[in-house]
Amino acid sequence: MTATSPTLKSNLSIVLASARMRLATISRYPGQLLMDIFIPIVFAAMPILLGRATAGPDAGENFAQNTGTSNYVAYMLIGSAAFTIVTYAFWHIAYWLRWEQETGTLEALYLSPTHRVWVAGGTALYSCLRSLFSASAAFLIGSKILGVNPFEGGVGLAFLFILSGLIPIYGLALLFGALVIKVKEANALINLMQWGVSFLMGIFFPIAMFPPLLRAIALLFPPTWMTNGVRSALLGLTYFFQEWYLDLAVLWAFALIAPLLGYWVFTRAETSIRRNEGVGQF
Amino acid sequence: MTGTVRVENLSKTYQVRQRKGLFKSFRSTVEALKGVTLEVRPGEIFGLLGPNGAGKTTLIKILTTLLLPSSGEAWVNGFHVQRQENQVRASVGCMLMGERGLYWKLTGRENLEYFGALYHLSPQDRRQRALEILERIQLGEIADRTVETYSSGQKMKLAFGKALINDAPLLVLDEPTNTLDVPSASELRAVVRDLHAQGKTIIYTTHIMSEAETLCDRVAIIDHGQLLALGSIEELKDSLRRDQVTRIEGVIPSRAVAAVKRLPNVQQATRTSADSGDLLTIVTSDGHEFLPQLIEALTQTGATIKKIAPEEVTLEDVFIAKTGRTLAEDTRER
Repeated sequence: MTATSPTLKSNLSIVLASARMRLATISRYPGQLLMDIFIPIVFAAMPILLGRATAGPDAGENFAQNTGTSNYVAYMLIGSAAFTIVTYAFWHIAYWLRWEQETGTLEALYLSPTHRVWVAGGTALYSCLRSLFSASAAFLIGSKILGVNPFEGGVGLAFLFILSGLIPIYGLALLFGALVIKVKEANALINLMQWGVSFLMGIFFPIAMFPPLLRAIALLFPPTWMTNGVRSALLGLTYFFQEWYLDLAVLWAFALIAPLLGYWVFTRAETSIRRNEGVGQF
Repeated sequence: MTGTVRVENLSKTYQVRQRKGLFKSFRSTVEALKGVTLEVRPGEIFGLLGPNGAGKTTLIKILTTLLLPSSGEAWVNGFHVQRQENQVRASVGCMLMGERGLYWKLTGRENLEYFGALYHLSPQDRRQRALEILERIQLGEIADRTVETYSSGQKMKLAFGKALINDAPLLVLDEPTNTLDVPSASELRAVVRDLHAQGKTIIYTTHIMSEAETLCDRVAIIDHGQLLALGSIEELKDSLRRDQVTRIEGVIPSRAVAAVKRLPNVQQATRTSADSGDLLTIVTSDGHEFLPQLIEALTQTGATIKKIAPEEVTLEDVFIAKTGRTLAEDTRER
């Protein structure tokens, strides 16, 4: 046999091979990559134009009373870009599993001696690259179109919040993926989930506007902290815990818990499926 | 036992949801395997025959760790299928889903290299192995085209090539010649024989009896989740005496088949289509002493007999005797 025993190096090689395979696949749909950039801009433009239409020249002043910044254009662009990162994580992990289940390649993955978490890692890496590219390009192009400066504030700190937020978000996406392979449905679940997520993470408004119970629920959700951190870093808003490092510490705590939770639920779902009909049935 | 594959009293039951109309459904239990025990010896081609739904795919899925058994145990290459899953997976090359197990937006080469990575081959090894396999299965010229542009037969060949990527000592091939044209199927069987000659153990399922007869060292017949027969082709044929099989060609209506089935000592009577009309294969337990009764039963029920002859026992006859139907008939019902 030329197959070797798994090592950390060979498992990392699988992560890279899996990411590369998915990049090769999407490269055969170039139009989709272009659409990825413009969807967040269009998504943010709608509330921005609605704000201008309803509040007129006082829009910025009114917005500042509730959020602490009059730059509502950048505020919403950041929200939309952050939402792109979050929703791509859920779409790519859940849809990856569903797509492989439907095309028959999921069984082929389960026939190999690679643990699915490494393949999921590759999918997550691909998803990160794609969503970071799309979100960054959308933010830069959207800023240019809508006339705001994308580089004011702490860009480096904002990027740190994004990177720290990615780990718990992909952990939750794996948990969501377990639900998808169990109920054998992706589209309806993701559609439902993404509206709930966009609402809870406050993509167009501060969660301070929520009633207390809803605000508490929103704070249990890592994307809420990531989005607020990025906004605070770029627009000089107040952090949830006043200091940036405390908010970042919360994200790191999520980064420890969420992947473990996702892994645990995913492996339990796998075992349950293998006890019954198997992963190939869709 | 020292087999490459050991299966001891393996059973599998699972729940299925049966639909009734748009909104009603109820759960029922399916017994896919019922206490199967068998052994696959090192270096043999082991045929697994059975109608659709017989339990052979369930057995293969348990052996390849895709499903967990409800009870019983199994070992593959000395590794326990539940306790040493990754070792089992690393030591088996599988072709289970035909062309469905491929990434159609990737090229043939990219597919093989990706699966090589999943088997922990180094980047150099997977490139080299993919190259060797593409040459072996004669897809080298189209290796850099996306799989979606391949013909059905080329996809099947690539799926077969994927099973070779880890150079495993055991190959599990589920109907590998399905959808292949005659020359391609012949080429693939030649590769299987070549792999067998190199010492690989092969579990081979097929719907084509002649393929099983020419390729397999031993055969297991499974139906309704139970192992009905196991042995070499000759052993299985010997289990039916030569004069126990009679074939009748002609026009044979259903009521004639029913009348034959009612005759004493008739074990099985199966009608299939033949070029000249119908072909009735009868397995009896008392030789040809019943021929006068048989002819009378047929003529009285409106059958027209063109030819009646005792035949040499084939694997198909064994299959009919054990399961009560032909494999070809079952395949058409799919």
